[in-house]
Amino acid sequence: MSATAVAAKTGAVSVQNVVKIYQRDSQQIKVLDGLTLEVPQGEFMALMGPSGSGKTTLLNLIAGIDRATSGSVHVAGTDLTPLSEGELAKWRSSNVGFIFQFYNLIPVLNAVENVELPLLLSDLSKKERRERALTALRIVGLADRSKHYPRQLSGGQEQRVAIARAIVTDPAVLVADEPTGDLDSKSAEEILDLMQTFNREFVKTIVMVTHDPRAASRAHTQRHLDKGVLTE
Amino acid sequence: MKFAPLILKHLRKNWLRTTSTVLAMSVCIFLFCVLQTVIAAVNFGLHAGSTRRLVVRDYVSLANNLPINYKQKIAALPGVTDTTIVSWFGGIYRDPKNFFPNLAVEPEAFLRIYPEIMLPEDQKERWLSDVRGAIVGRKLAQRFGWKIGDTFELESFIPPYRVGKPFDFVIDGIYDTDEAKYPGTDLGAMYFNFKYLYEATGRQVGIGTLTAQIDDPSHAGAMSKEIDQAFENSDNQTKTETEQAFRAGFVALAGNLALLLNGIGMAVAFTILLVTANTMSIAVRERQQEIAVLKTLGFSSGLVMGLILSEALLLGLMGGLLGILIARGIITGLTYVPFLGDVLRGFPNLGLSPEIAALGVGIALLLGLLAGFIPALLAYRARITDALRQV
Repeated sequence: MSATAVAAKTGAVSVQNVVKIYQRDSQQIKVLDGLTLEVPQGEFMALMGPSGSGKTTLLNLIAGIDRATSGSVHVAGTDLTPLSEGELAKWRSSNVGFIFQFYNLIPVLNAVENVELPLLLSDLSKKERRERALTALRIVGLADRSKHYPRQLSGGQEQRVAIARAIVTDPAVLVADEPTGDLDSKSAEEILDLMQTFNREFVKTIVMVTHDPRAASRAHTQRHLDKGVLTE
Repeated sequence: MKFAPLILKHLRKNWLRTTSTVLAMSVCIFLFCVLQTVIAAVNFGLHAGSTRRLVVRDYVSLANNLPINYKQKIAALPGVTDTTIVSWFGGIYRDPKNFFPNLAVEPEAFLRIYPEIMLPEDQKERWLSDVRGAIVGRKLAQRFGWKIGDTFELESFIPPYRVGKPFDFVIDGIYDTDEAKYPGTDLGAMYFNFKYLYEATGRQVGIGTLTAQIDDPSHAGAMSKEIDQAFENSDNQTKTETEQAFRAGFVALAGNLALLLNGIGMAVAFTILLVTANTMSIAVRERQQEIAVLKTLGFSSGLVMGLILSEALLLGLMGGLLGILIARGIITGLTYVPFLGDVLRGFPNLGLSPEIAALGVGIALLLGLLAGFIPALLAYRARITDALRQV
């Protein structure tokens, strides 16, 4: 059974009673305080809230790049809590796509090589990897920029390459941290259009952190965090 | 292999830093190879020393000769089976840059005591019956294009051997050796009859050194002591040691020079290690964001560490290979430099050996590995959330 199919039964994301405490010197900072969140399969959810409310921390837990102090996190049918670092890395490579605010493309690689990067961890042949990467670039409308390096692309184009990289492994869940935060309004609209397309046509579950009400309005649901607790 | 483009592109992106690091590494390996080659060339000569042969010389200085009658006294000692005079003649052939070792010996005893000097029987007979005769090593004959019957002149720079005119010699034999059985035998030397030197100088010269063959190598220490004790109260005290010790001491190289050269090599290697480690640290620090992204995409910490180490190893490999190329070129090139080249050609086995080259590459890889280890470990330990927060 595929991860998507499992997620359809259990909900794509299930966060139960999660507490996250950071240790800063001798001080303990509770960022998430017994938070519970369910994101159904195919949902496009926007997480909003003031700075320091725990949005990015929650997103990192869902993406499997951070661990909860207590509680459980299930994503795409997998309980992430007991997984080792190595198992988490392997899980991330095929189950979650991450879209960053600042695109985070590798500057020495061109567009198609950046998109191909996650596929290096698969068993695909070089030819198959390249074909898939080009397909992803075609989907985001940048097939003609495949040989361009990040420095030769606009911010919007860079973010589209980053989205192609996030979807190239066909993950069940996409997480996006302020994906339009560094873009002008036109580029931001294009990126949001693209994300809606993935949500609608490819049934990708999307969890997006944003400060921008216009971006949040594109989501099916909006949840607000304040001081580590969901308020609505 | 599928990660190779990622590694290569990083090295290419900072080509200036990559080039300077590779050059620094290559200087280190070049120095290592040259120093080791010199040490190997010096040590090569030491292999020729037999443990059955003791060298007796004047206690104070090699410049002083021993009285001729010492030979009989030493030969009469129990445990000494044979003796031959071996006196450094210091002859110059046409020009000082044509330097080669030339020694006055007692042919019959010399050939008995030094079986590594191999001569065809007819050449041997000719030399034994010809006072002006000389034998030359195969490499020396090749160097000057000499053949049997050729004549040449040598004029010594050592005052007692200067008789107002050059000594003339006839080549009676061209000796060779069994290199497997007698490694280190100098095929670039020339030997002639001590009798010729003795008569030409009016029977005024003594013994430069005397080689005494003993019956039991395990008694070398005791025999050396016994010989020296025999002349303890004479005007010319002796210093006796094994041939290997004599050669090592004579060239004043084997011990201290090796230590000095190895010390220099170690210091250079350590410096390059710091330079390369610094370069790798900067490279990794600049890529904190990239490391975090790779880990987010699913690259395991071990794989990220492997990529950084591979980059460092590749730098080491490139530096090592370049260093070997430079060393090879310089070692060959130096033999063509006036005067210096003549000295270097005096070493019978000067040349970059495959063993030293392989060791050079190995050290370059080790330096790369060591230089890359800490940065790679930091990359291994880097937490994604911390690294992304620094962006």
